[in-house]
Amino acid sequence: MDISAALFAGGDGTYDFKNELLDPQYHVDETKIHLMDFQSDNDTVYALYVGDLAQIATDTIIFYLHGNASSMDNFWETAGLFANLGGSHHFGFMMYDYRGFGKSTGRSTGVESMAADYDAVLAFLQTQGLTSDRMVVVASSLGSLPAGSAAAGGSRIPVQKLVMEVPQSTANVIMQNATGLSLPASMLTNYKFDIGQNMEDYTGELLWMHGTEDLVAPIETAEAAMQKHNGTYYQEAIYEGAGHGLRWDIGDEEWSKIVLDFVRH
Amino acid sequence: MKIKFFAVLGTLVLAASCTPTKVVVPLEEGQWQIGVTQGRPQINDGYLPMLGAYAAKGVSATKTNYGGIQFSSLFLGAVQLEGGSVAALLPQEGFRPGISYSYGAQSFLSTRDYAFRFYPEAGVNAYFENGPHILNASVNTWLDPTWFLSDFGRGQLLAPSVSAGYRLRYKWFEAQLEYKILNPTRELQIPQNYIPSTSGLGGRGMYWGIAINF
Repeated sequence: MDISAALFAGGDGTYDFKNELLDPQYHVDETKIHLMDFQSDNDTVYALYVGDLAQIATDTIIFYLHGNASSMDNFWETAGLFANLGGSHHFGFMMYDYRGFGKSTGRSTGVESMAADYDAVLAFLQTQGLTSDRMVVVASSLGSLPAGSAAAGGSRIPVQKLVMEVPQSTANVIMQNATGLSLPASMLTNYKFDIGQNMEDYTGELLWMHGTEDLVAPIETAEAAMQKHNGTYYQEAIYEGAGHGLRWDIGDEEWSKIVLDFVRH
Repeated sequence: MKIKFFAVLGTLVLAASCTPTKVVVPLEEGQWQIGVTQGRPQINDGYLPMLGAYAAKGVSATKTNYGGIQFSSLFLGAVQLEGGSVAALLPQEGFRPGISYSYGAQSFLSTRDYAFRFYPEAGVNAYFENGPHILNASVNTWLDPTWFLSDFGRGQLLAPSVSAGYRLRYKWFEAQLEYKILNPTRELQIPQNYIPSTSGLGGRGMYWGIAINF
């Protein structure tokens, strides 16, 4: 038995992306909601783009890698927030469901499947004219796994700006924090990730956001991973008392301010 | 789904990292004991039957050797074997408990990349034996000689535990129940789960087992 199959189990999704499900301040132009699908190896990966497709060649695009919830449905409000960050549809916004999440077919099994899904979606953005200087990768929790390897050189459009929100650190840390022993993750799973090493290999700009009371991604190990960053610019936003649901704990206003300042940096 | 998963994961890894005490009072010389154990570390209401098996033999009137395997670890892809000895130190006299000590080791071998970990362990048991009834309190620690291999320097040399148990031992049969405080010198964390602890440190586990003697 390999636990990675359970770790990336995902869930169902309806993709009912409508304004009526959003707080009024995050309403979007519904003509700018684009649900699309891409081939990733032998599977189909579903993605949501919010913005004007024709402006991907000129807009700054937020490429969002979501956390461990069943589908993009859980991040529709996040999409609305980004679509209104800095003004209505100021930035384009793209997110997608990993294999096994929402309507995306197949099953996420590790580094290879997550990297292939990332690449399948990014290939579309590249064909639409997205370039490295206008791409901001925002990764939340589980999303830090594919974001880490992408930032470390595994992205067809090189990552120059990266937001790591409540990131994990290494596969070994999950094992070692639970046992108190030096057991490696390979005792449980084939899935290996080392975001600390990824950050060491990442040369671009990094914003790390974390809460001190995060029980899902402990701040001590996330900090050790993030501080290995060797890139051109490093910024951290640490919030006393905040947990893994960082944006909900600190509020949209504070969260948006920090992210927007970084994007415009 | 994810909460259930992490509860399962946590139960598995906690169980793998702390096994129940096999023998408290040495067996009679030449006597064999073969048993199965089941453990339940406390993590929210997460639960999986954690199975292990062991064999022990009284090699003298005061010393018993044992060896065991954890099937739950094997199920996940790690071969976890343990072996050791339990020896009598002081006999029980009146209200003074009998004292035994144990020493041995645990080994883990990943079937994926053949990563190997070896943890020597030692412990002391105090027990009262009255007919078939045995009450015991035990302290034990694993030694982590590869603590420096833990990511980000978070390793720790010792992984102690404290336990109390009851055993019903007849000539042909033994039943065992043990409550254990796991690794109370550090904070254990499992994503999205609460591990009941003592002053914020360690975990807890309840173990039981049955064995035949011959």
